[in-house]
Amino acid sequence: MASVRFKNVNKWFGKIKVLHDINLEIKESEFVVLVGPSGCGKSTTLRLLAGLDDITEGDIYINDKIVNSLEPQHRNIAMVFQNYALYPHKNVQENIVFGLKRAKASKELIKNRLDKASTMLQLQDLLDRKPAQLSGGQRQRVAMGRAIVRDADVFLYDEPLSNLDAKLRSQMRYEIRRIHREYQTTSVYVTHDQVEAMTLGDRVVVMKNGFIEQEGSPMALYLKPKNIFVATFIGAPSMNILDATLYPGYIELENQRMPLDKDRVKKSISSDGEKVKFGIRPDFFQDEQHISGSESLTTLRNVRVDIVEPLGYDRELNLKLGDQILKARLDLRTEAQEGETINLCFDMNRAHVFDIENEKNLTL
Amino acid sequence: MNRKRSLLQNILLTLAILTVLFFCLFPFIQILSTSLKHQFDWGNPSLIPVKFNLQAYKELLGFGESTEGQIPEMVKKLLNNPLITKEQREKILSKYQSTSDVFPFPRFFLNTFLLSASAASVSLALAVFGAYAFSRLRFGGRTIIQRSILFVYMVGGVLLMVPLYQMSVKVGLAKTVWGSLLSLLLIYIIQTLPVSLYMLGNYFRTIPYSIEEAATTDGCSRIESIFIIIIPLSVPMLVTVFVYCFIIAWNEFLFASVFLKQYHNFHTLPLAIQSLFVSKNAIWDRIMAASMLTLVPVVICFLFAMRNLSGGLAEGGVKE
Repeated sequence: MASVRFKNVNKWFGKIKVLHDINLEIKESEFVVLVGPSGCGKSTTLRLLAGLDDITEGDIYINDKIVNSLEPQHRNIAMVFQNYALYPHKNVQENIVFGLKRAKASKELIKNRLDKASTMLQLQDLLDRKPAQLSGGQRQRVAMGRAIVRDADVFLYDEPLSNLDAKLRSQMRYEIRRIHREYQTTSVYVTHDQVEAMTLGDRVVVMKNGFIEQEGSPMALYLKPKNIFVATFIGAPSMNILDATLYPGYIELENQRMPLDKDRVKKSISSDGEKVKFGIRPDFFQDEQHISGSESLTTLRNVRVDIVEPLGYDRELNLKLGDQILKARLDLRTEAQEGETINLCFDMNRAHVFDIENEKNLTL
Repeated sequence: MNRKRSLLQNILLTLAILTVLFFCLFPFIQILSTSLKHQFDWGNPSLIPVKFNLQAYKELLGFGESTEGQIPEMVKKLLNNPLITKEQREKILSKYQSTSDVFPFPRFFLNTFLLSASAASVSLALAVFGAYAFSRLRFGGRTIIQRSILFVYMVGGVLLMVPLYQMSVKVGLAKTVWGSLLSLLLIYIIQTLPVSLYMLGNYFRTIPYSIEEAATTDGCSRIESIFIIIIPLSVPMLVTVFVYCFIIAWNEFLFASVFLKQYHNFHTLPLAIQSLFVSKNAIWDRIMAASMLTLVPVVICFLFAMRNLSGGLAEGGVKE
């Protein structure tokens, strides 16, 4: 187990700056997920930590020791690659114990670790097979096994599940969670899938264009996004962002006035109103017809139902409010039909107001 | 190719293939046929010998009795005649004991084999590291170096022959037989390196880099990952490159003729066969048998390379 620290890390590829002043601290046995769209620098950050790419500026510490110029083989890290990167000429067993053998571990230790890992990952019957004879999920499990048998200080996962189908992905997510609970190894996990980020991370770091946009617990990111990018990136379906006008004490959305506590907005608002973006998650809407009791909710009236997508328990409604498009995820009780209008209720405390210029959240 | 061919098209296609095949194979059939013919049969255009004669092969490979050096009974009787003087007797004897006619095939074979195998081995070893550098490392001037190496391949051997020989004379290598052999070895290596580098470099690029990265995170240095990952995964291409270099050196005549001309014992097979052609007693069955035997390693090499070329060792390691 180890702590990891990025201090003012910058990375240039030729004339292109891909990482801007990354500062990040990862505590011992913490599971940190780096998430962002492709090209945001998350994989580069991971590769810098692994030593597979060189740092242009700044320092990376593992256990308070600068590792900038340390070769990957001397950093004591284990990495799971997106494309598995198994040794094609070695069988499953040889693949898994390769790192241990390189570290000259005793035969007994190798056997113990192999047994434990292969049992945990259900690879016992596949030990003699070559990677080419395995399915995608099995290969990914081998790659995982190769990492967990070692006494690595840090586990690095580079989009390990992106090549798997949905079912396998959720199964492997569970495996990774279990592995982390059992081994408690400091882990850094890169993904573009916000579901993986939410479900796996103790802490999630959202990146965009080489900058860290926000870091925090998954729920903190979900409930209190710092800006529109984080708000729309985290959570599925993503947050509705609507054009609105903000006045002191209320907000106007398509000619509907909704009260908004003046103190929540961290900006002085003129009484003439100010154009803003109003953000509310589809999950926070409720059908007015099914509201129970005394909750103090705000209502958005006359929303036209465009398309209804039944998802089993949930129904995802694509709606139109004036010319603006929004989504709502209601439960199966709702009877809204396409073409009808509906009244939606929500808790204003769950809604956010964003600055139209810098897209920052004004209601944090 | 959804269209079905008509019978006529099929026949024409088969004929065309057979023509090309015949054109390619005829010289070899001719060699084989002549090597099996008796002297009286040489002028016969038929490819099948009237009577099979394996004498040439036996002689070249050192089986059976050699006709050379044996003195016929008649001559023995003549030599026993007391009227013949000592000088006369020695003169007669020397005619039969002359070694000028002996063709030490195994020796030439060994010469060629050693030279070709060493050239191919060194070329392969250098090519592995060179090709690795070209395909994996980023360094200043990489493209220029890569192109200039290929440039060597574009210049014909004849153009380089004289300057190269002059160079080896100047540095004193051409003075001794070992120096000449070394020069020849170096030339073969340099001649085969460009293509070896090119072939291996392209092959290495097909091996996903992430496998090597995985090896480094598993504790391998770069050199170790070459030996543990790259080389085992490239065996088919390594064999192919070795065979390619070996065959080039095995068949090479031009430089060998310049550098080894004066060292008869160190002649390579192409050189030796050529000297058979121009010798006074050109014995066709022997020349052809020697040519046939020279071909054998080349054919074996090709079969071996073909079997290995199927390749695909790196399959399964990564998700494409």
